[in-house]
Amino acid sequence: MAAVLGLIIGIVVGIFVRPDIPVVLQPYLPIMVVAALDALLGAARSYFERSFSDKVFVISFISNVVTATLLVLLGNQLGVGSQLQTAVIVVLGIRIFSNVSAIRRFVFQS
Amino acid sequence: MRSTREPHDLLGKLHKQHAQDRENDRTQTGSFPIVRKRGAGRSPNGSSRSRFTTSVLIVVLCGMLGFGFAIQINNPTSSYEAMSEDELTRLISETSTQVQNLEQRKTELTNQLDSLKAAADKQQEVERIAKENEETSGLLSGRLPAQGKGVVITVSKGSKEQIDAATMFQLLEELRNAGVEVMALNNVRVVTSTYVVETKSGLESDGETLKTPYTIKAIGDPQNLQNAVNIAGGVGSRLKVKFGANVQVTSSDKVIIDEVRASRSYTYAKTVE
Repeated sequence: MAAVLGLIIGIVVGIFVRPDIPVVLQPYLPIMVVAALDALLGAARSYFERSFSDKVFVISFISNVVTATLLVLLGNQLGVGSQLQTAVIVVLGIRIFSNVSAIRRFVFQS
Repeated sequence: MRSTREPHDLLGKLHKQHAQDRENDRTQTGSFPIVRKRGAGRSPNGSSRSRFTTSVLIVVLCGMLGFGFAIQINNPTSSYEAMSEDELTRLISETSTQVQNLEQRKTELTNQLDSLKAAADKQQEVERIAKENEETSGLLSGRLPAQGKGVVITVSKGSKEQIDAATMFQLLEELRNAGVEVMALNNVRVVTSTYVVETKSGLESDGETLKTPYTIKAIGDPQNLQNAVNIAGGVGSRLKVKFGANVQVTSSDKVIIDEVRASRSYTYAKTVE
């Protein structure tokens, strides 16, 4: 409930405010969004599994975003930024797919 | 030996059976871990507080996610920072090629513009000359009215005898010699083909009968024109002495000759190309 509310508020604010993203943050924003999406879907899965814990969700959300960003940052420092970005996106994408399939199983079983 | 082993066996069997039963009676399914009810042992006050904090945190985090999502969607500009070295090199070479092409195009267009400007200047010059020529020839052929410094000569009717055409024409010739530019005799514009003849009713010029007093409007240097008429033994004195006419020469700063004649259409003469 709170998650959906926050999502709606965030999207509405983002559409209407349209701030200038700092250039330093620009390449990391898509990665952050994908990582956060993964965390959100993981939370949804655990909710259906009845093992949802808000603390775990908050921590996993933050750690997901920070890890993804740091990984891409590291890649940029090492000169393999785009490759590592692709790797992160692929891994997160796989996780998102598995989460979605788990959610789907729960939804259609019940 | 057998009797001693049997109870041992039985005990072991029982033990195994028991273990198996326990195993079989397990309610845990394996795929779904049992979720224990949480929060039963906690104090209700702290629980609701922490729950509220985490909900707020969730709202904030999800809000940030949505915010970032919306921004990313609304940000169509491709960031060069995310590009690899190869892509950037390609981009630079493409851009420089484009720049070169555009420079070339610009040079071409500039040349074209220059030539057009030159052509326009030439055209303007031609037009100016044509206009000048038109004015000059218009004045010369009597097609355009003229004004300027000059003299107005009034010749009254001769008291001794009628002024003849030759003397009148001589007057015009004298004025021409004195550098007259445009002149008119009564209401006849004097051009190169103007003639003066005598008829029964008096002088006639270019098909029009001239009435006395004759008025000659002439544009030119007033001093010269005046001298040409009034010179001793000239046409002025001849008019006075021979014909008894009264000749009056008035110099004026603004003589207006608005007598015009239609330009002649040539049947045989053509300009040389």
